[in-house]
Amino acid sequence: MSNTSDFISNLAAKLGRPTPTQPPPQVKLSVPQYQLSSSAERVSVFLQNWQALGGKGAIVRSEDETLQCLKQWFGEQPITWFKENSKALLAWDKLPTIAESAFSSLNWPLTRYSQSAFDPRDRYSIAASAELGITGSDWGISLSGTVVVKSDPLRGRAISLLPPRHLSFIESTKIQDNLFNVLEEVAALGSPPAAIEMISGPSRTSDIEMDLSIGVHGPIEVYVIVIDH
Amino acid sequence: MTMYNQTTDERVDKALANSFLRQATRRATDRLRNNKYKASAELGNWEEWRAAGEAIRKNVISNLDYYLNQLIEQMEKRGVHVHLAKTPADAVTVVRNIVSEHNAKNVLKSKSMISEEIHLNHALEEDGIDVVETDLGEYIIQIAGEPPSHIIVPAMHKTRQQVADLFEPIAGHALSSDTPTLTRFVRTQMREKFLRGDIGITGCNFAVASTGSIVMVTNEGNGRMVSTLPRVQITLMGMERIVPSFRELDILLNLLARSATGQRFSSYTTILTPPKNTADPDGPEEYHLVILDHNRSEILGDKLFRSSLNCIRCGACFNVCPVYRQLGGHAYGSVYSGPIGSVITPLLEKDWKKWGHLPYFSSLCGACSEACPVRIPLHDLLVKLRMRKTQSGHTPQVERQIFKAYRYFFTREKTLRRALRLGAHLQRPFVRNQRITGGPPPLSNWTNSRTLPMVAPKPFMQLWADLKNKR
Repeated sequence: MSNTSDFISNLAAKLGRPTPTQPPPQVKLSVPQYQLSSSAERVSVFLQNWQALGGKGAIVRSEDETLQCLKQWFGEQPITWFKENSKALLAWDKLPTIAESAFSSLNWPLTRYSQSAFDPRDRYSIAASAELGITGSDWGISLSGTVVVKSDPLRGRAISLLPPRHLSFIESTKIQDNLFNVLEEVAALGSPPAAIEMISGPSRTSDIEMDLSIGVHGPIEVYVIVIDH
Repeated sequence: MTMYNQTTDERVDKALANSFLRQATRRATDRLRNNKYKASAELGNWEEWRAAGEAIRKNVISNLDYYLNQLIEQMEKRGVHVHLAKTPADAVTVVRNIVSEHNAKNVLKSKSMISEEIHLNHALEEDGIDVVETDLGEYIIQIAGEPPSHIIVPAMHKTRQQVADLFEPIAGHALSSDTPTLTRFVRTQMREKFLRGDIGITGCNFAVASTGSIVMVTNEGNGRMVSTLPRVQITLMGMERIVPSFRELDILLNLLARSATGQRFSSYTTILTPPKNTADPDGPEEYHLVILDHNRSEILGDKLFRSSLNCIRCGACFNVCPVYRQLGGHAYGSVYSGPIGSVITPLLEKDWKKWGHLPYFSSLCGACSEACPVRIPLHDLLVKLRMRKTQSGHTPQVERQIFKAYRYFFTREKTLRRALRLGAHLQRPFVRNQRITGGPPPLSNWTNSRTLPMVAPKPFMQLWADLKNKR
């Protein structure tokens, strides 16, 4: 194994100069970026692209609309799920207020992933048996129909990964035109969180005869609710 | 790894005789190529994006020592164990040691070309470790014991029935060969493995130097599983896989997804800044980054070929290459196939005897260079590699004799005239429809599968002289 200074000085020798002590000048970037003119357009394009990838999406303006939307999408299913598994709905410790109150009015109890078990492996099993994982999103990207989620001690990465369905809530103001704008905000965090997950639609593969198949590992159904205050 | 024992001719003959392989390769590469055209046209100014991609990669490679040092500092500051491996054997040893220190039995892998390059699975299996490829395509070829035939779609050469036949002994019952049944089987099978994995091994699409972050893209979500669930994670990266900061990452992620599959972004793009926060409910507590050189530093010091390190491993050059499209990946015999594989394999492996055929797996049409999202002049590099091979004295005896003869005649005008006149006589028994066919070796090496233009009854030199006289 090499030590760092030997490894780096070998590269400097290959490049024929000493290793710079100052950061190299940044490359000038002037690519034309995708831009939309209004927040309404941003939301609408975001939802269009999300749906084109196979996700379901809706805009809500009140707790009542959220509740109606959840009922429309999931109907009586959660009641059936709860008969088999009391931890069928797995969520972050804290969801946007509108989501918390909608689930509570529906009387669909949420299991909080981070507190669901002491041992991580038990938490994974709970997540793998859950029917629906519920998260918020920190950003959205219109151009690609993507939700972007940061990791955090009160959240949990497996919620958007192990259950067969993932539902995410996003504030309309968090939706950006393109990835560049999102990454600018990530860079502004200084030190990024342990994981930032960008999710564009359900899990997919075309590895067998180029035939598209949904849900080989991650969620099979994905839902997004845009909260527009 | 059956194809490693065959000669180039055997592999090529085998590929040409396999009509499913050829049809599947054409179908898949057509699809990927057309999707890429659509996705790149949608951006509106693809050439500007390519130029930016090239500028970013050039900047990284010409300052690789600075950025790599920065990446290592950032990683180590947070407690990541960074291992610098000079050779594939060094990298394998690092991984073996980590696995054995943790007494790990179940190792999960998401797609990593570096792990193919260092033949990691084989080594871990020898140690009695249950190592599982979790990408569907990689899983299929792992069971079949074959290397990938395409950098993005590794099991492109397998029929659904062959896949079902490979899965049946594992399932313990007959499986229908429709795609939903096969993917459902893998979902169930793999779930158990994900939940009890001791160590996760991933590849790395980009490493962000300014923050010490690793970026990984997958469509299936297996990369997320492998980097979220096991307590210990190992990431393998080629040392050139760097991007200076998040500012440049946007460009490269757009170029990568659009060029690879024609998606705007892959289903999952994960930016890891490991290890996990101690209070996070999931994610790896212990994180190892293995950075592999394997003669990349030699390439860095070789100005002729330095630009081959700019590659972002999207596979776009495969999908437009007339040679790849006829043969598929296995005929190349190398881990990296397609035009970029033909460039980097001889440079990484430094073995002309074994890999000297690769620069000739090209018609030099330049489609690869045109497709490359970071504008690597691939066909130009292939010509230069042929030159390098010739200089190193590894061309066959016959080829050397032919070129000696060529030089002899073309530097002696009178002798050339005589030889052409003689040639026009000697060729007679072999000329059909004004083309030379058949003939004795070494002529037959060519004419067995093609024809040669005949020596003109009146050579050009004579025509020219006649024309002058007429005036």
